Amino acid sequence: MTWETFIYFAIPSVILWAAGAYFAFRDKRKLALTLTITGILVFAAYIAGIWISLERPPLRTMGETRLWYSFFLPVAGLMTYLRWKYKWILSFSTILAFVFILINIFKPEIHNKTLMPALQSPWFAPHVIIYMFSYAVLGAATVIGLYFLIRKNDKNFTESIMHLIDNLVYVGTAFLTIGMLIGAVWAKDAWGHYWSWDPKETWAAATWLSYLIFIHYRNHKPKNLRNALYVLVFSFILLQVCWYGINYLPSAQGVSIHTYSLD
Amino acid sequence: MWKHPWGYKEGFTISAGLVLTGILLQLTTGAVNTDFLQFPVNVFLGGLYIIFIVVLSFISNKNTSIRWLSGMTASITSISAFLFLVLIMGLTRQSGVHDNSGILGVLGFKNMLSSWSFVLVFIYMMSVLALVTLRRLKHFRWKKDIPFLLNHLGLFITLFAAVLGNADMHRYQMVVGSENPEWRATEDSGKIIEMDLAIELNDFTIDEYPPKLMLIDNHSGKTLPEKQPVTLLIEKAPTAGSLLDWDVSISNVLENAAPVVGRDSVHFVEFHSEGAAAAVYVTAANRKSGKQAAGWVSSGSFLFPYHALKLDEKVSIVMPDREPKRFASDVNVFTKDGKNIHSVIEVNKPLKVNGWKIYQISYDERMGKWSNISKFELVKDPWIGWVYAGIILMISGAIGLFVTGKTACENKGEND
Repeated sequence: MTWETFIYFAIPSVILWAAGAYFAFRDKRKLALTLTITGILVFAAYIAGIWISLERPPLRTMGETRLWYSFFLPVAGLMTYLRWKYKWILSFSTILAFVFILINIFKPEIHNKTLMPALQSPWFAPHVIIYMFSYAVLGAATVIGLYFLIRKNDKNFTESIMHLIDNLVYVGTAFLTIGMLIGAVWAKDAWGHYWSWDPKETWAAATWLSYLIFIHYRNHKPKNLRNALYVLVFSFILLQVCWYGINYLPSAQGVSIHTYSLD
Repeated sequence: MWKHPWGYKEGFTISAGLVLTGILLQLTTGAVNTDFLQFPVNVFLGGLYIIFIVVLSFISNKNTSIRWLSGMTASITSISAFLFLVLIMGLTRQSGVHDNSGILGVLGFKNMLSSWSFVLVFIYMMSVLALVTLRRLKHFRWKKDIPFLLNHLGLFITLFAAVLGNADMHRYQMVVGSENPEWRATEDSGKIIEMDLAIELNDFTIDEYPPKLMLIDNHSGKTLPEKQPVTLLIEKAPTAGSLLDWDVSISNVLENAAPVVGRDSVHFVEFHSEGAAAAVYVTAANRKSGKQAAGWVSSGSFLFPYHALKLDEKVSIVMPDREPKRFASDVNVFTKDGKNIHSVIEVNKPLKVNGWKIYQISYDERMGKWSNISKFELVKDPWIGWVYAGIILMISGAIGLFVTGKTACENKGEND
């Protein structure tokens, strides 16, 4: 399995997800579930294949983390669909996943086999996978929030959608917390300290704090949606800086132990 | 303003006041030094702090201002103020206590963790967190308040232990050669300290990833494409592949080789002693121009120079230094209380001895796989148990958050 075969798995997955999303709209629940799950399995097969052929978890490069991101979006969509039964959520997760798949098809980054000793740890896979799941869920919440900010006054829409956003943020923040703490425990084993204020860690803390502000503000002023949504979007911007933005940030150049790219 | 009930205005004003106070203190007294917080001072001050917070919590029934500190607006504004400073930290290169250059340096923001503003806002936020937690404990409802308690108490314990334990944490570096057991370690400051344990290095090994090839520009020496070079990993010979427009085939791979300089060419032969380098024989053809080239390529070592193959006027093929896959030290550790432990220490697998953790951190990178020294870090962190306890509470709380979703943590809202 190589990066070149990605397209033969990705396109069938997207078609299956799109079909699933269509049937979700038509209230054919079983069909929607079956198609979506099949799509997820096809995509998972590719991840498993590339994992085996790379002889390491595919979690090191940006392209590889995008791979997981596009995997978790439909998973998060499916979970939301199962729990809260929003018809449109599957279309939405499919479109988002498709965007990341396209990036990986047209701009794949170097995928080589080497994995430095510091990353060879049983903590590595859960740390990154949990983070990617969380990013997917929070990404979904943000896009819904943005849509909502732009559309403005739609009273019926408001209550239930805001409830969904809250739930997604709770789930996303829970995973963000777990991913961060697993990282801390791992760092203690790898580097001797659980928190070093490395630029990636600093931005992870900022992102986490910002989501905490959102959660607290929603509890305090449940009626004031607009401010809450601004905080939501702001939090997601911080998340982008933490995820890949620090690669371009002058203050983080050459000092982060979290950049594993080639020179 | 300042009429009860206090709201966001008052909250942000208090936070801004703390940041300003911090700046004034920074300008007059310089950066904060927390070295004095060593045992037993940290336990004493930590105890006093807890008593202070508990007393505050009890008088908060009578005093509206103190009561405000355990409410939502205090929480949100204090987290926001802390976030603000963390963001400055993220946007400013952290260059150490002694860097006072520029306005950010003068304010202490180039070493945020030791700046007064950061310390004051952190203590403020932590106190609000403690008061919020105590307030909820006073009216604790089983089930409903459990995720709340796990999250808040877990975070408080983690932060509290991390701060108080910081000055008690000791980190030393120890460089061990192959001759004698080493008892001495160095502090960050360069001071040499005799430890109560010694490390004897029996053997140091590096496993490397297979050699790989990439293209560089002959004039600039930069990789092609720049910063994201295409590479070809050579796992077996013969093998073939491509690098940009070049079809490359490798007919011979020598893991341990030395160059033999002929009259007009260099070739490589097997060489099994210290200083040997990997070398491969490459044949390359350009798909567009049809140009061909063949010859040896080697990464070189501390003993031999690297050897590139010039493909045409613009491009050469090179083998970058091989990446380590695993490095490990086979050691004997002796302690002054008479222990003798034989073990292998490697990255991500530290060894625990008498409260110390010994980490493999590096080796003589100039010598590469022929390094005969090993670098360790020795860490003692007596408060780590408390930090882990807090982390476990927080993870449980996060799972609770995930399972219960929004409904369980819901507040009545609006009233505080």
